[in-house]
Amino acid sequence: MSAQVLETPVRTALAGLLLAMADDEFVLGFWDSEWTGIAPVLEEDVAFASLAQDEVGHAQALYQLLADLEGGDPDELAFGRPPEGYRHARLLDHPRTDWAFSVARRFLYDTADAARLDALAASAYEPLAGVVAKMRREETYHLLHMHAWVERLATGGEEPRARLAAAMERLWPDALCVLDGIEGDDLLAEAGVLAEPMAAVRRRWLAGLVPELARLGLPAPPAAQTGACRGPGRSDDFRWLWEQFTMVRRSDPEAVW
Amino acid sequence: MQVYEVFRREREGGPMQHAGNLLAPDAELARHYAREFYGRRQESVRLWIVPRSAILDLDDPDLLQPPFDRSFKKPAGYSTEIKAKLATARSRADAGKGDE
Amino acid sequence: MSESVRVQEFNRHVASGGKVEATDWMPEEYRRAVCRFVEMHANSELMGVLPEREWILRAPTLKRKLALSAKVQDEVGHAQLLYRVAEDLGKPRADMVADLLAGKTKFHNVFHYPTRSWADVGIIAWLVDAAAIVAQQALRESSYAPYGRTMKKICWEESVHILHGRDVVLTMMNGTGSQRALVQDALERWWGPLMQMHGPRTDPAKDRDLAWRIKNKDNETLRQEFLTVYVPRIREIGLEPPDPELGQDDTGRWHYTEPDWKELYAVVTGHGPRSAERLELRRLHYAETQWVRDTVMAAPRAA
Repeated sequence: MSAQVLETPVRTALAGLLLAMADDEFVLGFWDSEWTGIAPVLEEDVAFASLAQDEVGHAQALYQLLADLEGGDPDELAFGRPPEGYRHARLLDHPRTDWAFSVARRFLYDTADAARLDALAASAYEPLAGVVAKMRREETYHLLHMHAWVERLATGGEEPRARLAAAMERLWPDALCVLDGIEGDDLLAEAGVLAEPMAAVRRRWLAGLVPELARLGLPAPPAAQTGACRGPGRSDDFRWLWEQFTMVRRSDPEAVW
Repeated sequence: MQVYEVFRREREGGPMQHAGNLLAPDAELARHYAREFYGRRQESVRLWIVPRSAILDLDDPDLLQPPFDRSFKKPAGYSTEIKAKLATARSRADAGKGDE
Repeated sequence: MSESVRVQEFNRHVASGGKVEATDWMPEEYRRAVCRFVEMHANSELMGVLPEREWILRAPTLKRKLALSAKVQDEVGHAQLLYRVAEDLGKPRADMVADLLAGKTKFHNVFHYPTRSWADVGIIAWLVDAAAIVAQQALRESSYAPYGRTMKKICWEESVHILHGRDVVLTMMNGTGSQRALVQDALERWWGPLMQMHGPRTDPAKDRDLAWRIKNKDNETLRQEFLTVYVPRIREIGLEPPDPELGQDDTGRWHYTEPDWKELYAVVTGHGPRSAERLELRRLHYAETQWVRDTVMAAPRAA
């Protein structure tokens, strides 16, 4: 299925999905890139930086898909909106905080994203299926790495465990938002763009995590969460991030960089 | 933490070559880090990651550079002599043709 | 064989181009000299990350963000490679970090200065990395073979950084008037530290690192090489280094205003504009993650 064939309500919902996914990857890529140079160990520093770069690369591909659908270009889409215009999940409004927090947040995000990508792998919208196929291959490494870190923190002694558990406890309600807040996801499911509505994807994601969480004695997800999942209200931390990443462009709006 | 040595194959059909080493707390993270240092730019098609402690080392010059002549085992041990003998054999063969 | 005869043989060996591996016998002085040399290099890569990483967040396009992230990631990787070389000579990584944070060991001058704009990012990636690579290419032939091999990998990776830096600068020079002004301003601020980077002229006869061929080229040779390649490249795009004395004589040798060696000495001993702040930042971040090194990275895991 190509863009021309899409009826307006499906097209609008698809654009919303692409923006949400692209913003998720973009913002996560920024927060995690803050660890470059200051991670706990040099070897891990390089690994974590790769994960952050992958997210920015994925964001770039997703913004391109959106540009192909709606016009504009990826940089304009990525950098050209006010803070209220971003549609990332609330999970990504938090700064990097400490190592356990970043590990917990990334673990929750990567596993949720994996479920989302599974639901898009056979998308009737071919351009998206193509990008998703590539993303899933890169995500293999992300999942391996984050499972490894969650395991090590959970079993590494009292302090790592306590920090990880506290971070997960705090992040769970926001994590539920990754597979939420997509308007018209039922239309997308009917059109075959998504394999199933987001609620079903979310159930699958959580069911997949429960055994590991139980084995490691980590906090289970809450039954539900309240509050807006994807803005327009944004945290002060995200507003600070926005100031940083738009600073150079705003200094000379006519310039090419 | 222990040291792991990393070997890599640059392209299909090539040999595994020593690339470097890194510190890791265990084998799983050692593999991830090897990928980072020797594969993140798509520069390798395969990696071997080995704890340094598993490597057997041999550097005894008595074994590797023994002193007696071993030219009978090397091409250079024949090439000079063969050159001379070939010259002799060729000139004898030419002289023989002249007799016919 | 007496110790002094052994040392003499060793000195002859390295002076004539012979190589030394981590497991070879070496005089204690040589071991210390290599360790100090490599440690300063490793420290520089680690501290060099700090001026640049602020701009990872501020990179103005997706492509630039990816490129700058990758560059800084490479610098962290280089720090790892170099610390590993020093570790294999017997100094634990934690000790080296402790000495750096305590101000006992040094790092190169350029990383003690502030960055003020995106133009700095371009100038650093292009010219500072270029000056560094001139030195690093010569180090590929170091008598200490593990260092030489590491330098080969580092040089290969650095070549991309210089291209990225040049691309950033060229884009700005072909851009708006204010972009061009930013680049010229950045060049003027970085020129002094760049000229000091290779160090003062030393007497080769008195330089032990040269005698042992830990390094193979003296400071002035490196500076001349840098100027020969890069001054034309700077000028051809409409930039001018802020030194009226800069020029070549008939033999092609560059003359220039004598760099401020007092400034260099003050800076590398920790009195640069950003020295204290950056070391404090390192201390803070290192302390903040100590719990990880003490637990997850320390305990042996059951298979």
